Amino acid sequence: MASADGGAYSYSLTVFSPSGKLVQIEHALAAVAQGTTSLGIKATNGIVIATEKKTSSILIDDSVIEKVATICPNIGIVYSGMGPDFRILVTKARKSAQAYWKIYGEYPPTRVLTQEIATVMQQATQSGGVRPYGVSLLVAGWDNHRGPSLYQVDPSGSFWAWKASAIGKNMINAKTFLEKRYNDDISLEDAIHTALLTLKEGFEGQMTEKTIEIGIVTVPTPAELEEGKIGGETGRPRPTFRKLSEEEVRDYLAL
Amino acid sequence: MATPNVYRSPGFDFTNEIRNSFLVEKGLPLPKATSTGTTIVGCLFKDGIVLGADTRATEGPIVADKNCEKIHYITESIRCCGAGTAADTEFTTALISSNMELHALQTGRKPRVVTAMTMLKQMLFRYQGNIGAALVLGGVDSTGPHLFTIHPHGSTDKLPYVTMGSGSLAAMAVFESGWKPNMEREDALNLVKAAIAAGIFNDLGSGSNIDACIITASHTEMLRNVEMPNERVQKEKDYKFRRGTTAWKKEDVRKFVVDEQLTLIGGDEMDTS
Amino acid sequence: MSIMDHNGGSVIAMVGKDCVAIASDLRLGNQALGISSNFQRIFPVTDRIYLGLPGLATDVATLHERLRFRLNMYTIKEEREIEPETFAHLVSSTLYEHRFGPYFIEPVMAGMSKTPSGGLKPFIAATDLIGCLNFAKDFVVAGTASSKLYGVAEGLWEPDLEPEDLFETISQTLMNAVDRDAFSGWGGIVHVITKDKVITRTLKARMD
Repeated sequence: MASADGGAYSYSLTVFSPSGKLVQIEHALAAVAQGTTSLGIKATNGIVIATEKKTSSILIDDSVIEKVATICPNIGIVYSGMGPDFRILVTKARKSAQAYWKIYGEYPPTRVLTQEIATVMQQATQSGGVRPYGVSLLVAGWDNHRGPSLYQVDPSGSFWAWKASAIGKNMINAKTFLEKRYNDDISLEDAIHTALLTLKEGFEGQMTEKTIEIGIVTVPTPAELEEGKIGGETGRPRPTFRKLSEEEVRDYLAL
Repeated sequence: MATPNVYRSPGFDFTNEIRNSFLVEKGLPLPKATSTGTTIVGCLFKDGIVLGADTRATEGPIVADKNCEKIHYITESIRCCGAGTAADTEFTTALISSNMELHALQTGRKPRVVTAMTMLKQMLFRYQGNIGAALVLGGVDSTGPHLFTIHPHGSTDKLPYVTMGSGSLAAMAVFESGWKPNMEREDALNLVKAAIAAGIFNDLGSGSNIDACIITASHTEMLRNVEMPNERVQKEKDYKFRRGTTAWKKEDVRKFVVDEQLTLIGGDEMDTS
Repeated sequence: MSIMDHNGGSVIAMVGKDCVAIASDLRLGNQALGISSNFQRIFPVTDRIYLGLPGLATDVATLHERLRFRLNMYTIKEEREIEPETFAHLVSSTLYEHRFGPYFIEPVMAGMSKTPSGGLKPFIAATDLIGCLNFAKDFVVAGTASSKLYGVAEGLWEPDLEPEDLFETISQTLMNAVDRDAFSGWGGIVHVITKDKVITRTLKARMD
């Protein structure tokens, strides 16, 4: 019988333990659970994804840290877990989105891009010489077909759609908090405030525009959609995902 | 399958090459692709760049498209006019646009015109002129306005006013006589319009309408069909055929379900508990 | 002599009022020798998209299969039917992939595309043999009779034709053009796609 930490099975990635687990994946989830909290909330007219940006020392220049990343004009992601692993996934996701654009002349729907990222992450659970990615992701995006959608991807490569979810250190508490706060007709503005309140629950230290990162998905109006189809003035449809600037975050925190 | 990208492996597919060069050997030359005979121009003015293009695409002596778009999007403040093989200009600029977007996301800055120019020339040089794209690249970045021409073999020029394509001589004549340093926006636009018009009316490879694009540090204005000097006059009468003119042998109609009506039979809904 | 003329055949697509039409001849030849008078070169892609593939017959078959594969992969992956604009880009990028060793095909597409407000609007497009897209607002032509089709269509086409009028216009355009093309003819077929149905008619045409 294997010991509690997986014992002899805990080192080989590709060998199941007798109880049917791949312990390395469990360990990867443990790495995620140590990461800073991130969350996402789907509103009626958009989505918010947010995370705390904590540094181990006040001497670190936190202006260059990026935890919410734009993948393509309609999709953004946030993570909990290992920063370096996230960076690799962001690069791959961006390349995948561009490859899709070059074939179909439009950016991928959220679900398709999520599936692509999930495939990359799954492949790291049954390949030789690699370890699973030590991150969970929240993917938020808008597309013509399904509208706004929010997905979570785990190190195993499994993914689900959520109305609201949290990952990382405080995920249990945050999820309970979200369950209490969430309702089906929440607006984007309310969702941003709820997101900040949820983060506040387990926050150590001061919540400022330097220690919070927010990305939002907005739903284009029918007029904008009509314009986007023919190209509009810029020649490209307007982006539906964007990161909030420090000023905007400060304003939300002040309220 | 090692690659996680399931769309397709990137790059060109040469599987038909052997067959096709065999056909060439047997005296069946490669058919002509759509080309943009084209007049494309660009010029510097006080606050930025004005680009211009005609809208004719040709297939040999035939006009294939009377109102095509030759000013391609690279980034918000960088655009590129294309002459030569139409598909090559379309796909080359799309590829560079895509790479510029990745570059912008990776660096977190607005990309520069020289970056686009270098990407384009390195790609075209790599293909040794086999990608038939002759380009006019213009834009404004943190270092100011820039205007380049890029030839199909990868050579580049940086000049204050440039023309390319089969109508380049006609257009250059206009620039040579009319261009001045530090022109006003309106004057620069009018000069570009005159240069394109010279190409449209004097070069057979160019025709139809004028497209222009004004790029300044703060704003990019795409003026699609800013001038339409060759609009067709409305037909006085029509050639509409009377219904039933065409004799046909067989008809097959496929009807779609556009909307449906649900009628509940038996009153109560089904018990699904 | 070009390889594009080897088997003969032509396709044309036209925009009407809330409808589109696509038509082709039915001849398959070996240079001047007629082989078949029932050769399919227009294929249904989805309920509301049709694709015409004039050019070398061997490539008609190959390219059709290749596109069918890519389309099925798309439909399964995205869990939805493809839109005409997206399909046009798929055709275009597939052809450009073979930039240096092209298929000898100049595809023509016609379909109804969804608008953001939930309606349907007509869409036509054509590409050259290496995938340069041409989104025309009136009509697109391709094949051995293309030069003749351009002329006739330029004269006969007019905006906002009702489905039945569009059928007459496209049929007459096709038949009068292919009658002056030795490599096209031997019957014709027309598909008129409207919001709620597709009408397919086989034309009575000269057989010489």
